[in-house]
Amino acid sequence: MSVDPVAAFLYREARLIDEHRYQEWLTLWESSDTLYWVPCNDDDIDPRRQVSIIYDDHDRLLQRVERLLSGSVLAQQPVPKMRRVVSNIEPEQEAPDLIAVRSNFILITARAGRQELWAGQALHRLRVRDGSHRIVSKKVLLNNSDQEIPLLQFLI
Amino acid sequence: MATQMQQPLIDYHALVSGGRVHGSLYRDEQVYERELDQIWHKVWVYLCHESELPKPGDFLRRQIGTQPVLVVRGDDNAIRVFFNRCRHRGNLLCNREHGNADSFRCPYHAWTYAKDGALLEPTFEEGYDNNLSRADFSLTPVPRQDAYRGLIFASVSPTGPSLREHLGQVTEFIDLFMDVSPTGDIDLNSGVQKLRYHGNWKLLPENSLEGDYHGPFIHRFAFEMHSRRTGLNMSSLYENQVPDVIRSLPGGHMVEDYRGASMTPPQRVMTPARQAYLDALEARYGKEKARQLSSTTPPLVFVFPNLIYIMTHIRRFQPIRVNETHVYYHPLLLKGVAAEINEARLREHEFGFGPAGFISPDDIEIMERNQIGVQARGNDWQHIARGLHRVREMPGGGTAGYTMDENHLRGMWQHYARLMSGESDSDVH
Repeated sequence: MSVDPVAAFLYREARLIDEHRYQEWLTLWESSDTLYWVPCNDDDIDPRRQVSIIYDDHDRLLQRVERLLSGSVLAQQPVPKMRRVVSNIEPEQEAPDLIAVRSNFILITARAGRQELWAGQALHRLRVRDGSHRIVSKKVLLNNSDQEIPLLQFLI
Repeated sequence: MATQMQQPLIDYHALVSGGRVHGSLYRDEQVYERELDQIWHKVWVYLCHESELPKPGDFLRRQIGTQPVLVVRGDDNAIRVFFNRCRHRGNLLCNREHGNADSFRCPYHAWTYAKDGALLEPTFEEGYDNNLSRADFSLTPVPRQDAYRGLIFASVSPTGPSLREHLGQVTEFIDLFMDVSPTGDIDLNSGVQKLRYHGNWKLLPENSLEGDYHGPFIHRFAFEMHSRRTGLNMSSLYENQVPDVIRSLPGGHMVEDYRGASMTPPQRVMTPARQAYLDALEARYGKEKARQLSSTTPPLVFVFPNLIYIMTHIRRFQPIRVNETHVYYHPLLLKGVAAEINEARLREHEFGFGPAGFISPDDIEIMERNQIGVQARGNDWQHIARGLHRVREMPGGGTAGYTMDENHLRGMWQHYARLMSGESDSDVH
């Protein structure tokens, strides 16, 4: 019954996005000054000078979710089946109210006759307030961010 | 095979005439093989922009049709394009995608080449009994290489029209998107989003340059989100009544020229950096052109066969097989502006484009479905006759049509048929 609270938070996040529960996923985030970042080409690029795959401030994150919920995303018709495994969780206390967590993931998506494999490392910054966690930033290092990849029209 | 090359079994003109295109041109392996020979291994292919190689020793890999090439900036600052193949036993010389190097050493037997392609060391040279002259074993330059405004093109065919002849009228439109820079220089050293799709390469230019017609259907949500955010109102594009927007140019090039269309320009918060940018535009181009450059969208441009300019970026693509294509999105940054201007351009680009954007992924999904659709052989034709009755022949060649017309697609396909039929270069232009 006792899973570490940080691990439990990451598992819950994974389940919400795999099940396309986008509004619930948003409630895991702080309500402003957030960053959802998937770098492109290299893990350590300067996002002010180099393009990313995703570089969402809070407004853009809300737009991303609004679009996913709109029914207009063709690559979500039909909705892909998704399951990811989150592992190798390494939390680190960064400040009294801030935890930095590394974790690895493997994600399988299936849609329109094709199964795709996505893998990488996620770097979460979690704010701890009254015993609960909120995402301040999430940086996803895709194994293949420098390769020709298929559409990424879901949350990673 | 040789006789087949001289006498095409397929009448390509018949497959693209009368405002329609035959489905086999998207799915037939034999057609695809011929495209490699007659198009990709003949014409000028876009490789990169010089700003992607800022320093001597900077290199990047590219492909022309099936052939790997290496683009290198030398100590003399000249940019050279070589076949990426060791002269010894044909090994791939450089397998890094990009980087900086003093020299290029083949990992197989360590033959080493200078940045200008000269063979420095064949290793264990005494084994060659003095019959190997180093000068005869430099890297092989691609037969033809040229540039326009820093855009580097190459052709693996030793003969054919010059790059300027190939580009023709499209240079006017290349100038327009380059002139958004207050120095006239762009910076493409901005990273690259890479994507693959299961579809024929020709679907990409067809789709990329006809957003007016499909926009209201597959991009409505993203466009409305965009206009809520920026104030740029694109709904006038749906009105279908603006003449001379869709242009077909000789050489298979296509343009969507919005300068005559009324659009509410984007409302941007004025900052010192933005004011400085507008002032610099005015200083370089004068008040009238500066106003036009800052208030309208530059034309969308397709340079046959593989360069596309759209809004925020230069897009190039590479056919992999008849039903698979790789696409590369290079955000177009400006030289001579404050960092925040380019940062805003990157964020604007990511809104729409790349694997996780809000606009072009819907196009990619459509193209994949298009590839499946054309496997159905009943009534095996695509219809591209929109605006056929009102097409305007332009004085310098090419045609003009209304906002949603398909005259540009017809122009591209006619050029394609001429190349595929093996008509001589002088006929093609």
